[in-house]
Amino acid sequence: MFSVILYGRNDSHGYNLHKRAAISFNALAEVMSDPDDEILFVDYNTPEDHPTFPEAIHDTLTDKAKKVMRILRVRPEQHAHLKSKTHLVALECQSRNVALRRSNPNNRWILYTNTDMLLVPRTEGESLSDILGAVPDGFYQIPRFELPEMLWEAAFDRRDPAENLRKLRDWSVRFHLNQVVHNFMPMKYDALGDFQAALREDMFAIHGFDEEMVLGWHCDSNLAARLALYRGRVDTLIDKLFGYHCDHTRVAAANNKGRQTKMNDQDRYIWDVSTPYLPAQAETWGWPDVTIEEVRLDRETSYQRFTAGLDAAMEPATVPYTTTSLEWQLYDDLSYDLPHTLPFVCDQVLTFPRSTSVMIVATRAEFVTRFAKAWQGMGFSGTLLVPDECEGLPTDLPNVKRGPFKELIGQTHMFIFEFGLATQRADEPVRRGRLASPVDEKRLKAVAKLFRQAASTEHETRPAGRRLPRRFIGVNVIYNKYWPLFTDHIGANINPFCSQVLAGIPREDPSLRGKVLRFRGRHAV
Amino acid sequence: MSDVGILSKLSESLRVKWRERSNPTRATGGGKPNADTEADQLYLRARVIARGGDSDMAVRLFEDAIARAPQFDAAVEAQAELLDMTGHSDEAKAKYTEARSIRAATRQGPPDRPFAVRQRGNFRSEISAYDTVLRSLKKNALPYIARGNAYLTSGKPEQALADYERALKLKPGLLDVQAIKAEALSAMGKYDEALTTIDAVLTARPSDAEALSTRSVILMGLGRPDDANADLNRQLALLPTSQAAARACIALRLAAYELAFAELDSVIARQPHDPYWRLYQATARMRLGQPPASTPVVAQGPWPAILLAFQAGQASEQDVMAQADTDCRRAEAWFQFGAHVASRDLEVAKRHWRQVVDHAAPSLIEHAAARNELKRIGG
Repeated sequence: MFSVILYGRNDSHGYNLHKRAAISFNALAEVMSDPDDEILFVDYNTPEDHPTFPEAIHDTLTDKAKKVMRILRVRPEQHAHLKSKTHLVALECQSRNVALRRSNPNNRWILYTNTDMLLVPRTEGESLSDILGAVPDGFYQIPRFELPEMLWEAAFDRRDPAENLRKLRDWSVRFHLNQVVHNFMPMKYDALGDFQAALREDMFAIHGFDEEMVLGWHCDSNLAARLALYRGRVDTLIDKLFGYHCDHTRVAAANNKGRQTKMNDQDRYIWDVSTPYLPAQAETWGWPDVTIEEVRLDRETSYQRFTAGLDAAMEPATVPYTTTSLEWQLYDDLSYDLPHTLPFVCDQVLTFPRSTSVMIVATRAEFVTRFAKAWQGMGFSGTLLVPDECEGLPTDLPNVKRGPFKELIGQTHMFIFEFGLATQRADEPVRRGRLASPVDEKRLKAVAKLFRQAASTEHETRPAGRRLPRRFIGVNVIYNKYWPLFTDHIGANINPFCSQVLAGIPREDPSLRGKVLRFRGRHAV
Repeated sequence: MSDVGILSKLSESLRVKWRERSNPTRATGGGKPNADTEADQLYLRARVIARGGDSDMAVRLFEDAIARAPQFDAAVEAQAELLDMTGHSDEAKAKYTEARSIRAATRQGPPDRPFAVRQRGNFRSEISAYDTVLRSLKKNALPYIARGNAYLTSGKPEQALADYERALKLKPGLLDVQAIKAEALSAMGKYDEALTTIDAVLTARPSDAEALSTRSVILMGLGRPDDANADLNRQLALLPTSQAAARACIALRLAAYELAFAELDSVIARQPHDPYWRLYQATARMRLGQPPASTPVVAQGPWPAILLAFQAGQASEQDVMAQADTDCRRAEAWFQFGAHVASRDLEVAKRHWRQVVDHAAPSLIEHAAARNELKRIGG
């Protein structure tokens, strides 16, 4: 019957964002009763190494919310072409159009709302699917009622939407919450973007939201203006349901800077609108030719993929624990526990697109073998690229491509540099003062050289069309002699030694030292 | 212009005058113009009184307005809102449902026409709302355009034209407004001016499917069916196959029944309860010389059930005309009479189709279809 379209970004904005979003997702799912109903959440421009926003809060969502939710992940690289046009990191019109294009065609209605809304049918037991199924074609809005921050924060159990809706029915009367704020036509109500229900076919006919609106605000009013022209009227569902907004003004939203807030031009996008249509974007709205990843919370979850990968790559431990040490006298000992380290390496890649290709520059054959198994088990389809310059690594693994470093560097979306001892056996204890053999030295030297080259030339060696820098993952680069090398070139956080892994993108160090480092890396000095 | 052109133009302008004289109620959709005006006035008074806080009086005035114009959905809804606000939620819900039923029963205009002239219903509430906006915002185009559209849909093209012209004064050269201005001029029978206006739009935007529709109607109004058909064919070529309903309407205007028949199949699959699509498909079948469908005809029910019954031989011309209480319906009826008799008596068919051309607005599907039928049989 209907597709709810929401958008957001996993950027931990505001201390109570997660709570109100979970409350809202669960409440929206609660009023769905048609098998075709869906919540489309466009996760826009979340950093590559983060999970999407709903994944980050999945444990607070009801089974029903997880079942009806489809997450459409718009990657930073897909947003990069718009970066120079806006100060915002998440774009409403693009997000909503990406979802509209990919919405269930069986659904008659599209409902635009936000991740802080609860919709309460006035007749108990009636669902929003029932309501929308019974009303004639049109463009419907409802007024938004405000819910003081204290009430929803303190009294709502995010996993109990039915009880939350019951509380709202009670509070609305006890605390006089229901105040309709009328607005000029075509907006009809204030805060109209929290409930705009339009026919899916109407939204396609008018070419979706206006993707020129990249400065924030008034996207809802623009839609109202265009749909009011298209339909001739703006209808209400106030007799059918009330909409409550979880007020969140203690911490202002990212696009709210008080009187300094940048906004889309009101005259251009509301008061001088002269047509419902947007012919300039008729063929392109919602990015029909762009592959948008879909993530589900009820199947093939990140956890399931992660464990499937690791289970394929290694056996369970046979001892209660193993030991290592970060004492300084062991600084030159590059032995490390591979099965212990592998989960931390996999953790670094799991959130990237499945089509990602990774260059593995390594010393230990076992690392490559196990990572390749985990890669496949996690459902990645991208190629593992292993440079010919790395000797002693397996050549016959599935989905592994060998070739000269210079050829492969332009094909990879990510790098893994592993600094281990090629001669380390699987059953060897780690960090006991082991010295590198000549073979180890030779292979480490090759890895270090390729690392310097890759980091220094990353910008000019990107795959065609790629705008954003690629990620470097360093394995066994904490508290040993490769730590300075890795962090000289890569802007990595400080991680616990136990994880053995650092990651980041190449540093842009404008100092003389930075320039010298890049020159040396580039020319393999 | 050739002599033939002048004669044709003259005869067309006479036809327009004839249409206007013979159908004085056309602008308001036929029926009771005074009653509607009274209802409008009561509605406006009720709104003012409601704002002043006298809900009981306002509810009564809305009731009076509805009594005078039972299809006045905005009045029903405004009454519902007041009842809801004053705690009579159950009564309010019933009223809201009634308003929606009125809207649901109102069939939208043909989907091949521009959005602004597809809308149907009572737009008194929208006109009032944009009046309010215009008291505060005088330098922006949208309120004028939206109010103009509401006037146009309410059968008041003169007021619509005035609003479009104000919008164009504020934002000269807005092609979207020029396009609907041409519709307003066309609805006023000012076809020459309408043609000049829409030509300017199409020069700038030759692939504007809605503007092509507007021009085809204007050209039909000017008695230039060949030119009108050329625009209809261009419009058809521009519309994707996913817009089957619009494509079917264009095919019907062109009296291209094979194409219409094919398109209507998918339209009916999507909107099985819309009797017009069944009527049109049955008409196409009839005109293609095919036997009627085996689907039983529901002869009871509101218009156009009687036309389906007529097609199935279950109602007479007199039965149909007894229900044809608007210009539109009369034109639909005459067209069906012509289609029904065409295989047996072309002269009678011609007579019916000429009635359509002479009396019906050129925007009607039946007008264009009748012209094309006549052209084909040399009538």
